[in-house]
Parts: sequence; C-alpha cells; structure tokens
Amino acid sequence: MTRYLNLYWLFLIQRLKVLMEYRASFILGAASTIVWQGSSIAAVWVVMQKVPDLNGWNYDEVLLIYGLITLSKSINHMFADNLWTLGRMYIRSGGFERFLVRPIDPLFHLLADRFCQDGVGNFLVGAALVVKSTIALGIDWTPPKLAMLVVGVLSGGFIFIALNLITCVSAFWIVDSVPVTRLVFDNHLFAQYPLTIYPRAINILLTWLIPYGFASFYPASYLLDRQIGNIAWFGPFVAAILLFIGYRLWQTGLKYYSGTGS
Amino acid sequence: MIRNAKRDLSVYAAFFAMIPKLFMAYQLWFWIGLVLSVISMAILVFFWRAVYADTASISGLALDKTLQYILLAFIFSPLAGNDLVWEFGSNLREGMMIHHLLRPINFQGMNYAQNLGRLVTELMLQIPVVIVAVVLFGLRFPTDIATWLGFIVSALLGLTVMFFFYWFLACLTFYTTEVWGLGVLIQGMSFFLSGTLVPIIMMPAWLQTIVLSVPFAQAVGVPVSLLTGIIPLSEAPRVWLTQILWIIGMWILSTLFFKVAVRKITVQGG
Amino acid sequence: MSVIEVKDLTKVFRIPKKDPGLGGAIKGLFRPQFENKTAVDGISFNLDAGEIVGYIGVNGAGKSTTIKMLTGVLMPTSGNISVLGRDPHRQRVDNARDIGVVFGQRSQLWWDLALIESLNLIARIYDVHPVKYRLMLNQFTETLELDELLKIPVRNMSLGQKMRSELAAALIHEPKIVYLDEPTIGLDLLVKERIRDFIKKECISKGMTVMLTTHDLGDIEELCQRVIIIDDGRIIYDGPIDTIKKRFGKYREITFDTVENVNGLVLPEGAERLEAPDYKVQIRFDRTLSTASKIASTVMNQVEVSDFSLSEPDLGDIVKQIYNGALDREPR
Repeated sequence: MTRYLNLYWLFLIQRLKVLMEYRASFILGAASTIVWQGSSIAAVWVVMQKVPDLNGWNYDEVLLIYGLITLSKSINHMFADNLWTLGRMYIRSGGFERFLVRPIDPLFHLLADRFCQDGVGNFLVGAALVVKSTIALGIDWTPPKLAMLVVGVLSGGFIFIALNLITCVSAFWIVDSVPVTRLVFDNHLFAQYPLTIYPRAINILLTWLIPYGFASFYPASYLLDRQIGNIAWFGPFVAAILLFIGYRLWQTGLKYYSGTGS
Repeated sequence: MIRNAKRDLSVYAAFFAMIPKLFMAYQLWFWIGLVLSVISMAILVFFWRAVYADTASISGLALDKTLQYILLAFIFSPLAGNDLVWEFGSNLREGMMIHHLLRPINFQGMNYAQNLGRLVTELMLQIPVVIVAVVLFGLRFPTDIATWLGFIVSALLGLTVMFFFYWFLACLTFYTTEVWGLGVLIQGMSFFLSGTLVPIIMMPAWLQTIVLSVPFAQAVGVPVSLLTGIIPLSEAPRVWLTQILWIIGMWILSTLFFKVAVRKITVQGG
Repeated sequence: MSVIEVKDLTKVFRIPKKDPGLGGAIKGLFRPQFENKTAVDGISFNLDAGEIVGYIGVNGAGKSTTIKMLTGVLMPTSGNISVLGRDPHRQRVDNARDIGVVFGQRSQLWWDLALIESLNLIARIYDVHPVKYRLMLNQFTETLELDELLKIPVRNMSLGQKMRSELAAALIHEPKIVYLDEPTIGLDLLVKERIRDFIKKECISKGMTVMLTTHDLGDIEELCQRVIIIDDGRIIYDGPIDTIKKRFGKYREITFDTVENVNGLVLPEGAERLEAPDYKVQIRFDRTLSTASKIASTVMNQVEVSDFSLSEPDLGDIVKQIYNGALDREPR
C-alpha cells in the first residue's frame, strides 16, 4: 500500500513538472473550467435577482448545492480523468499492453498516469461557492455538520469516480467508451440544482440509480437543517458499493481483454 | 411494361432497405448525443418551471414564452460557434496558408461558404432534438411566415458576425500554441453571453449592456428573440441594422488582424 | 535449464462474421455468428537461460500473438507456458518483474518527460534498488551514449535515439528475459549496428535470455544462434541459424522484365526459375555455383530483356520454401 502511495506521489510530481513547463496551458485549462462554471452561475444569479427562491431554496442555498457537486466533480476531474481516455488513448493504440507488462496494477497505472490540471479550476470554483454560501447562510459548524461536509464531498467524489469507472470499462468491448461515460456522467447536471425541482422519476434516478444526489443535494439538505433524515449519511455506503461494482467490472473487462486480444 | 414496373419496384425496395441499414450504421454517438440533449433540455425546463413556481411573469415574459425562448436557443445554439479556432491552430494551417497565398479565390469567402455548409449540417442534425422538444417538452413554433423570415435573416446576419469574430480570434493562434484551451475558454463565455442560458431581457441593465457589447448575442439571443416575438417584428429592421454594423466592425478587425498575422508567418515562418 | 517452456500452445480467436447485405446486418444484430481464427496452433519449444533466439515469420504468422501470451498480456486458449517456473498470465505481476519488453513501434517512455525522469519512474515501478539503479544508469549512459539524451523528452528524439532510450528503459531493472519486438525497424544501418552491438554486449554478458522477433535478417544473422520460424500458427523450423544461412544465405535473385513471354529457359547450374507474373522472369541462383553476370547473359541470349534487378531472397520467400520442404531436400 505504501509502495503504491509512494509511486503515485512520484507520478504526480513528474506530471506537475511537465505541467509547470506548459504554464500557459495549465492556467488556461484551469481558467476555461472556471469560465464554464461561471457562465452557469451567472445565469443562476440573474434569475434569482428576479425571484426570491427556487422551489423553496434561496440563492445561497442553490449556490451551496452547486458548489458541493462541483467540489466532488473536481476530485474526479483531477485524479481520475484518465478513465475517459482508456479506449481512445490506450486500448486503441495498444498502449494498454504496456500496463500489463509492468509489475503494478493496471488500474492504478491508468489513474496515476495523468493528473488533470483542468480539475483545479473546478476545485477552486466549488470551494469558493461553498465558502461564500456557507458564510452568507451563517451555518453553525457543529462537528456533525463538519463531518457531513467532508463526508459529502469525498463520497461524492468517489461516486463520480466509480460511475466513470463502471462506464469506461466498456472500452474493453467497444473501444470508444466516451459516449457511454457521457450518457451517465451528464446526469450529474441535474444534481447541480435542488433535486426537488424535478419530478419523482428523476429524483429516484439521481438517488438510487445514478446517485449524484449524494454529492450535492443530500449533504446540502443536512447542512441546511432541512428534514432529510438518515439518508444524508448514505453517501459513503453508496460510494463503496459503486466502487466495488466498478472494480469487479474492471476485472471482468481485463479478463475479456486478455482473452480476445486487442 | 411489367418488367419495367418490376425494375422500378426493386430500385425502390433497395432504397427502402437502406433506411434500416442507415439506422444501424449510425454511430453510438448519434443516439447518445440525442439522449444528452434531452438531459440538457430537461434540466432547463424543470429549472425554469421551478423559477416560475410562484411568479406569473418575469421581465414581461410568461413561463411558456421563456421556455419557448430557452428551448429554441438551445436548438439554434450551433449558430454561435465554429471551427475556425481549431482549424487555424491545427496542422492544417500550413496547407491552408499556401492555398491562401497562391489561389485567386477569396480565402475568407471560401471559408465562409464551408462554415455555412457545416452549420446547415449541424442544424439538420438537430432535427431529432426538435422532435423531442416538441413531443416531450411542448415546444411550439411560431406559424407566421414573416416572423420566420425575420428570424432567418437575423440568423444569417448573426452567424456572419460570429464568423468574422472567430476569424479575428483564430489569428491569435498564429502567436500561441494554446489553441485548445483558448477555444474552450471562448466556448464557456459564449454559453452565457449568447443569451442561451438566460433571456437577455431578464438581465439587469448594466449586464445587458455588457452582453450586447460583445458579439455572441447577435448569433443566438437576438435572432431567437425575434423568432419568439420577444423582440417584436416591427423592430426587425433595427435589429438587422445593428447586426450589419457588427458585421462591418468584425470584418474590418478580422481582415486587419489576418493581414498582420499572415505577414508574421511569411516573414518569420510558421 | 529451461527458462521458457512452451507446450502445445494454442490461441484461437473468435472473430464476428458479418454477412453482407441487409439480411446479414440484421442477423448480425440478433444472432451474431463467429468464425474461429487459429493464430497459434499447438506450438512447442523450450528456451534455455542465456539463449538468444530469433522468432521469425511473415506478418500474421502468429509472432506477436505468441509474444503476447509469453508476456502474460494474452490468455492462451489451450496449452502450457512456463516462464521461470510461472504461468505468465496467472502470475502476471511476478512475471512482469523478471521480464523486459521492447515493442518496436510503441515506446514505453513518457512523451513529455526527460529521459532521465522516465528512467527514474520506471526504476521505481520495478523497485530497482537506488544503488543498483545508479550503476545501471552509468553503465547504459556509456554503452548507449545517452549523455546528451538524458535531459531530452522523447518527443524531441530521433528514431535512433528513441530506440536507444527504449533499450535502456527495458533493461534498467536487469530482467532475466528480454522480448525484443522489431527493435531495429526503421533505423538506418549505422544505428542498427550500434543497437545490435549493445544487445550482444548487454544481454550476452549478463546471461539474459533474449527472444527477438524481427523481419530484418541482418538482426538474426548477427545476434541469434537459434531460429524459430512460425508460419500460419505452426512452427516450421526450430534449429541453429547455420542451417538457414547455409541453405538460403548463399542465394540471390534476379528479376528480368522481358518483352515477350518465354517458357523453357536453359539455365546454368545452380540456377532455378521461380514463378513470376507475365513478362517477368525470376531466377534464383546459388552464388557458390554461378554468378549474376553469367545468369544475366544466359537469359539475355534467349529472350529480349528490357530491364532487370538483383536482390536477396526475402523472408517470405524463405518461409515459403521451407514450407515446401526445401530443408528436407538434400542441400545442393
């Protein structure tokens, strides 16, 4: 385990060295994600100047939800972005075989091989939104609430990673897994806003099937003292289950890949 | 005669048989792209419905008018973009430059025609999205021919504005290798500034001034406002004039910058 | 002592069969049919420690499939592989520690990293002891002349520089077995010589077992003592390289472009006519028994010739001949 941690650190340092060389690209990448988020937030701001609340959620509460999911998303964006590229960059070119010839876990290698600097932009935006909104809302940071913040963001991040892992495994069969991953990933956009604005079907989708709700809505509801019940704490379990499913699928995919060749 | 009929029939049958073949030949991307569009539209619709939950009208717009605007802006959003930044920044550039310097054809004109063709194709590909919007989200189109004409003229003018604007921007790629990031950055801004996310009328006055001082809105927000009647048809000539002024301005800027950039290449080398 | 034991190794691929036309497309959707393609068909061989073996065959013969199974990347359909006493697929990680691989076309180095950084990373991945690493690095820097290259990222290297770096990366952890897949492809002769020298020095001196797949017969001649030829999934020759050299190394081919077609040419001793398209005459001759000029003049006395060219027999031709039993016949 420590070996893998040390190795990851080394991979990360090397990657950062390269990124620092391309400093302009680094900044531009982070800036572009900030601008994208900024556009959506600007729209929310404009709208909420005109109406006091969105389905019972005021401006800062909406920002909190948006900020939480952006934070979770940024974890995936920074550390697991290479999952998107499995098919196009590694399987199609045969580069994945190199992972199999090295004495380390190929999934680890895939993840460690690329820290994505664009995710830093998302992290900054998410953090800024959470800070701004929680100050404006005057949240009383009791230990459970602090725990919920950390747990919520982390388990949200792992839910993102797990769902991406589950979908990217399709690359072993169809090579270009990006459309499949997008099909699931884009649903997180629903969770950028309070889930209560959607019909029941979408609520169920985002809670039990593609559970992005645990990255934003449920932690936010808890932090805002809305009577949400224990479901608020389900996040880590949901993440764990999804990660388990993802890893098993990965192993199945690997087995298929080594059975049929590239 | 029977033989002729038989032959015709077999030709028709062959064409007909192609349809399911095309169906299955369509890449995964196409169908998934459609689902992704549905997700985006659903979020927009539910968001705005929630916004209007306790209000009948915002900035003079009722819910159905706003929804009509938002959905149409979504459908026509390709008008605000193009590939010039990619093309100029890519390896194709050298080949392109040689064409420009050697051929008698107007380089910009040729690119404009290409861009127009590409846009038409993209809009055609939006047809399934339109169908979904009509069926699932109750989108209704205006039936008045005059409104449509007003829209089409405005859309053509608007995309021309964007063409020259992006041409201007694309010249930046002669000076930097950061093409991809630049393109994404502009796209991100265009998202809001084109009036796709929020009707321009709803913005506070100072923001409206800012949005209208950059060209993005001319390609989507303004034409769609005409189409939905948010800007009444009587205002159409004024709108077109503004767009034409934008075109002139952007054309001047883009041509100048292009000349400078080309000189840089021919003097210093790409 | 055998380090690699391969017994009855077979790999069969299931390739989806697509019928043409609309009916076929629909059928393919609902009841997909597969056809079996046997890439490797029950091959067996053993490699002893320190052997350098050339593994050759035409494209599609099953070379890369075999290598993939030996390195643990691909799972065999049936048969046994034992590499240093392990099943390379089941014990992938352990096996990986003891092998080094060069895939000629695909670099294992990181595109943007300076070579030294790539090597550092690889050394850590393979758990090379820092002292050992320093030693190996100095050694390779000398033998492969890497001084100027260490600070350069791979993307700025020429093909020859890339290959030298590639070799260093593959051997930095002192693997016991080395698989070299087309290591000299695309390189000019001088660089090829350097690479071959390096392989000879490094691997032989350290007693590494080397399996070299290549199309370049020069590689084989210089490096290998033993040659295994695979064709259409089966091994058609496994033995010392001398036999191949003796049997085929002395041949040359002349191809004549003729004005008219001619049957029944009279040829001097040591020459035989091969199959050729119309208006072409292809002669293979034994250099020890005849000369190019003799053949040329003999032919040109019998038929009008517009052009001709001289070449060595290529691998495909040799394989074809072996397949047709050329090695079974008495050597002329």
